[in-house]
Amino acid sequence: MTDKTGLRKRVARKVANAAGGGIVDELFQRITELEAEVQENRNLNVRVGELVDLVSELMAPVASQDPARIEAALAKFERSL
Amino acid sequence: MAPKVEAIRVDDRGITFRATEDDVVDVRLDGRRVWSFWLQRDSVPEAGGRYVAWPNALRRFLDGVTRLSLVAHVTETTLFDEELTFGTGGDRIAVVNEKGQPLGLDKTNKLMLTFDTRSAEHVAPLLDSLEEVLGVIKEAGIEAFPAYGTLLGAVRAGKLIGHDSDADLGYVSKHSHPVDVIRESFQVQRRITERGYDTYRYSGIAFRIDVLEGDGSKRGLDVFGGFIAAPYGDNPAMLYLMGEVGAPFELEWIYPLGTTVLEGRTLPAPARPEKLLEAMYGPGWKVPDPAYHFTTPRTTYRRLNGWFRGIRVLRNEWERRFSTTRNKLPEDGPSALAQLLVEREGMPELLVDLGAGRGGDSLWFARQGARVRALDFVKQASLAVQKVAGDEQLDLVVKDVNLNSLRSWMSEAIRLAHTPGPKVILARNLIDAQSEVSREATWRLCELALRDGGRLYLEFLRGQRRERTEKALLTPLPVAEIVAELERHGAVIVHQENTHEVKPSGAPGRPLARLVAEWQR
Repeated sequence: MTDKTGLRKRVARKVANAAGGGIVDELFQRITELEAEVQENRNLNVRVGELVDLVSELMAPVASQDPARIEAALAKFERSL
Repeated sequence: MAPKVEAIRVDDRGITFRATEDDVVDVRLDGRRVWSFWLQRDSVPEAGGRYVAWPNALRRFLDGVTRLSLVAHVTETTLFDEELTFGTGGDRIAVVNEKGQPLGLDKTNKLMLTFDTRSAEHVAPLLDSLEEVLGVIKEAGIEAFPAYGTLLGAVRAGKLIGHDSDADLGYVSKHSHPVDVIRESFQVQRRITERGYDTYRYSGIAFRIDVLEGDGSKRGLDVFGGFIAAPYGDNPAMLYLMGEVGAPFELEWIYPLGTTVLEGRTLPAPARPEKLLEAMYGPGWKVPDPAYHFTTPRTTYRRLNGWFRGIRVLRNEWERRFSTTRNKLPEDGPSALAQLLVEREGMPELLVDLGAGRGGDSLWFARQGARVRALDFVKQASLAVQKVAGDEQLDLVVKDVNLNSLRSWMSEAIRLAHTPGPKVILARNLIDAQSEVSREATWRLCELALRDGGRLYLEFLRGQRRERTEKALLTPLPVAEIVAELERHGAVIVHQENTHEVKPSGAPGRPLARLVAEWQR
């Protein structure tokens, strides 16, 4: 964006905001919040993927309470991280 | 047609010229390309013309004599060609590495051993590795193919691109939900490690496979995963491929795979490679551009970031920070926190140094007879300590534990929870080096590891948060907030003190907080 178009946009926003009783600033604020919320949701994908992988690979060995089996499963799992 | 460029002047600062069109130009020193730039995009206005500064990576070489030419990359028209002297040196300028091998700037302006200076004999090991890795991935159930610059070079001219320096692979998952694509990538990586290869994960769907070449050197090939998001409403099916692609796409443009030829070898390729290349480089992909910049749309960048990234937060920064000290043994003895720990607990049987960094405290504890687990997401930071611990046969295990990755910290927590006997966790300058998400993982790891006894010794910069920068990677934290967080996680604070770092002169330095916490059942 050039300085001129940037300036034009800032002035237009101020004018529209003043005419609309602050609604433009409020909408900008809501867009920022929405973007953050969308990313929070998207971030769940890696979390869920990691959790499912961990449970699939380690739940059975850990439930067995057999130290040798737990150690073997942990070693194999950690090597692939 | 060659661009019209006039009034070219080259000096120690950079290159000035007059031109109205934009085009990509190679800078050659004694006939060899070392850099390329776009006449308009990469320059700024100066004195009625344009000016482009020497990139920092090249600047240190510019002391001596050279025949400098500027050549339009596409038409190979010479725009400027003169014998020049830079700085005060009298020798020919040589842009080479410590082994004397010729270097050039790649598209990200990093000095690399680019392919244009390498002979067929030199690139053969890379091609061997490429074929080997394609085979390994196929055995793991995925049909991968050369991607990005490697595919571009193969399709455009059957050759590696001269100004490129590495080879990339890609694949498109049959799954259509990010979670499934991530799980598949984890499974593929696991199958590959079971075959004995070292790997390194970048994100939920991208990782590197290390291959040993004939001379024993290690080469890492990046594997980028992708998937097709199903169409909805009026929106078409979209291909998202790590790390730059988001474009309307059909799976049948990829599979079943066809073939392409690269440096005389037949390799798998997307069924319609031109479709993928257009998605990667835009409709102008056929025209060579050694200074290409991806213009990934914000929506694609945000999607790829949100779905797949986040497990490497601050890791690159700490890798860079430790890169200059990793071979130097830390010399400052036990930290004040380590001394406090020994005063209160005696010498622990099992000491977990969480965020061990260079490992100074870990080494000290191991030398005093403690069993030590030194955990950090930059394992290389303590290379010198690892060597000494090996030489002295100390009971010191250094492990890569990444508190940004649930699989990494949770598997370590399970291990610690199943390790019998008392244990003490030392975390010095850890939480002030972390993101909020990673700090949350720290509390959960401590809670799991210490719920049957033991204590956490914590030291961090105290004060109001400030923005983290590359130079100041630690950021102070308000003590009351940290205490409240720990208590929310079931911890009881059994010791708390506010103190200061001690400068070498003995004068007080930055404000510190020390906390000792335990989880009482």
